[in-house]
Amino acid sequence: MTAAEEALNAVHGGQTDVEGYFTYVSGVGYIPRDIYKYVKSNPFGDLPRYSVHIVIQHILIFTTFIALAATGIALHYSDLFWAPYVIRLFGGIDTSQLIHRSAAFVMIGASVYHILTIVGSTAQKILKKEFDIRRTQVPLPKDLFDLIHDIKYFLGLTPHRPKMEKFMYKQKIHYLAILWGSFVLISAGTALLFPEHIALLWPFDPAFLQDLARIMHADEAIMALIIIAFWHLSNVHFVPGRFPAQWTVFTGKITREHQLEEHFLEYLRNLSEIPEEREYMRSLLAELGFAEREGSLDETRP
Amino acid sequence: MRCKKLLKYAAGISAFVWVAVLFIFCEARAADIGNCLLCHKYPGLSRIDENGDLKLLFINESVFNNSVHANVKCEGCHPDIKKIPHENVRKVDCMLECHIIEPSSEKKFSHKDVETFLSRSVHSKIDKEGKPKKYPEDYPDCKDCHDNPLYRPLSFFKKVRPGISEIVLGRCRVCHKKDEFIFRFYNHITTRLHAIRSPKNIAEVCAKCHEDPALVARHGLSRKAVSSYAETFHGKAANYLSEGIPDCLNCHVNIGESVHQMLSHKNPESITFKDNKIKSCRMIDCHPHASAKLAKYDVHPEFDKEKSPMEYYFTAFFLILTGGTLLPLAGIMFLDLGRRLFSRKKEDKE
Ligand code: HEC
Ligand code: HEC
Ligand code: HEC
Ligand code: HEC
Ligand code: HEC
Repeated sequence: MTAAEEALNAVHGGQTDVEGYFTYVSGVGYIPRDIYKYVKSNPFGDLPRYSVHIVIQHILIFTTFIALAATGIALHYSDLFWAPYVIRLFGGIDTSQLIHRSAAFVMIGASVYHILTIVGSTAQKILKKEFDIRRTQVPLPKDLFDLIHDIKYFLGLTPHRPKMEKFMYKQKIHYLAILWGSFVLISAGTALLFPEHIALLWPFDPAFLQDLARIMHADEAIMALIIIAFWHLSNVHFVPGRFPAQWTVFTGKITREHQLEEHFLEYLRNLSEIPEEREYMRSLLAELGFAEREGSLDETRP
Repeated sequence: MRCKKLLKYAAGISAFVWVAVLFIFCEARAADIGNCLLCHKYPGLSRIDENGDLKLLFINESVFNNSVHANVKCEGCHPDIKKIPHENVRKVDCMLECHIIEPSSEKKFSHKDVETFLSRSVHSKIDKEGKPKKYPEDYPDCKDCHDNPLYRPLSFFKKVRPGISEIVLGRCRVCHKKDEFIFRFYNHITTRLHAIRSPKNIAEVCAKCHEDPALVARHGLSRKAVSSYAETFHGKAANYLSEGIPDCLNCHVNIGESVHQMLSHKNPESITFKDNKIKSCRMIDCHPHASAKLAKYDVHPEFDKEKSPMEYYFTAFFLILTGGTLLPLAGIMFLDLGRRLFSRKKEDKE
């Protein structure tokens, strides 16, 4: 077992003290929970987070999303005053229809690409016996506890944020929402695009299915747009400290500060996987005067 | 509001002055009453009618000359106007016989046939037994649906595009000498080779009545036809002046018959009758290979609680889902933001 794994198991098993202010990593030292306030970070990212495939998928998804939302919402609200300007921007109704459909095909392609990447890399990890469900987007009971812990922290009831994995509760909710949204939008969109075939395939009253598709496609799209515009953007990119953008989506790398704050457990894995990072942390701890601490955690708490 | 009223008065006075001036100056010219545009070409010409509404009496000559009635003289439709100032001007009757001789029958032209078609349609004021229907004023007559549409000529020379092809005009000139005639004839024909009005325009005409909830209820119609049309892609694309999608007429007029002979969907002869509907879906430019099941789709969906409860609750579900996801997420976000700003302030102080 590596040092990081030891520490991880301790956290998951609830073996450390409640606060868990210090985390001991052998060969590095005692890492205090709020070390992220002192680390040096490159705004474009220090530590690996996304593979190049994920970066490409994100770029494909967000560009097609913008095109789809602009043409789709304008079509849906065809009677509002601003809608015709948007449609004209896209070259009229016929062209924007074409753009909407092409963008949808690209987005579906990106989704398939994503599934292939995930399935492929998971299979690879399982074969190499490196697979760990805690590093995935699968929701686990710990996420609920993290959420409660985090709310307490936001309210000032606990001094530190929970130690979270590569994907924290917010990201898991968001990922689930995207899975649901893509499923709804793609299936309803297909029903709208191929009314003739769907009418043939569907054994019951096709009018009902078509009505549902109309409602679902529009309502889900509006929901997605609202979530992306008000939540994803402000939460991921416009947060103080990360504004104007979190570059992770392009570089695939996360800043050290962010990793330590919101994905502490993933950082511990980074420590065992990246020797240079171990070196950096060791010297930082020495600089801050944390290196030589020994004995029980309680005594060392400042 | 006030400004509008003032404007009305000003316009009223201006018309009055016009009448006064023209009265004096036209005594001598009474013979020239045919030259209606002498006066009606002035944009300011207007008066206030009995209801206090401003009535613009200006006729834009170049627009009129590009309209389908350009060949009809003013007196052709306004035969009662013989004097200046005009006395008790009557409403124009579209059934008048025209001075124009219809070349194929060599009779005086009139729109009488249209009235026959209309009388056989669901819009007839008279029912099958020949008795007047209830609420006769709710049924449209010519002028409820028609204005004086402009020509929409097409050029087919190499590609189909709007406008007149000069090359084609050159061919006309080989035999026909009068450019006026050529121009009119060209317009007359090519305007009729495609829809003269956009689907949006047609829907607006029908909306006058079919969006009026009181009228819809009075006549036992099951829905507002235009907004329900706008729930579907057909109606939405129509709003963007797309002409490739079906307008009201494409679905409601039996193929090959007059647009004035629309029938109720309960009438087995109607193309909108449940067993016939698929014929309109299968029109060559629409869904030519569709199975009969396609016609089961609702092309006039109205999503409200009583008529389609499932759809209603489905929409509600999505609203709740959106709110239920967004609000807690936003809550967490604002808490997070609050803590960040708060602790930053504290650090600044320290
Ligand atoms: C000498 C000027 C003059 C000439 C020529 C003239 N008009 Fe008028 N017309 C007026 C004025 C002024 C009014 C508005 C006052 C009124 O209602 O009498 C008017 C009003 C009208 C109206 C609206 C009546 C109403 O109350 O709605 C019609 C229709 C009309 N004219 C048609 C014609 C036609 C058709 C001709 C040609 C045969 C013609 N006018 C020639 C001056 C003229
Ligand atoms: C195809 C028939 C037709 C022709 C041709 C025609 N009009 Fe009219 N005109 C109408 C109709 C229909 C109205 C609407 C009022 C009504 O129903 O009487 C009208 C209304 C008017 C009005 C009153 C506007 C108003 O708001 O009520 C004027 C003024 C007028 N016409 C002038 C002319 C003049 C001038 C000409 C010749 C250039 C002309 N019209 C040719 C059918 C015609
Ligand atoms: C319910 C509305 C309605 C009424 C009422 C109506 N029309 Fe029409 N009419 C239309 C429409 C819609 C068109 C087709 C326009 C197009 O193709 O763009 C049309 C077309 C026409 C045409 C062009 C030829 C054609 O069939 O396309 C003539 C002429 C015409 N109408 C005359 C009349 C006359 C005269 C009356 C009164 C007896 C009348 N209409 C009543 C709606 C109506
Ligand atoms: C002036 C008002 C008016 C206008 C304008 C009008 N309608 Fe109607 N329409 C009626 C009325 C009233 C009825 C009810 C007829 C009945 O049931 O006796 C009706 C009935 C109908 C029906 C039959 C409904 C059924 O039971 O299936 C159709 C189809 C229809 N209209 C289409 C149109 C179209 C298309 C237009 C536009 C080109 C139009 N109407 C314009 C008043 C109007
Ligand atoms: C795609 C074809 C299509 C188009 C476009 C269309 N309709 Fe219909 N409409 C139908 C059919 C089919 C019905 C018969 C009812 C049914 O099967 O749902 C109907 C029914 C109606 C009814 C009677 C419904 C009732 O209340 O019982 C009216 C009125 C009507 N349409 C008017 C219009 C008007 C006005 C427009 C244009 C804005 C229009 N329709 C566009 C196909 C169409």
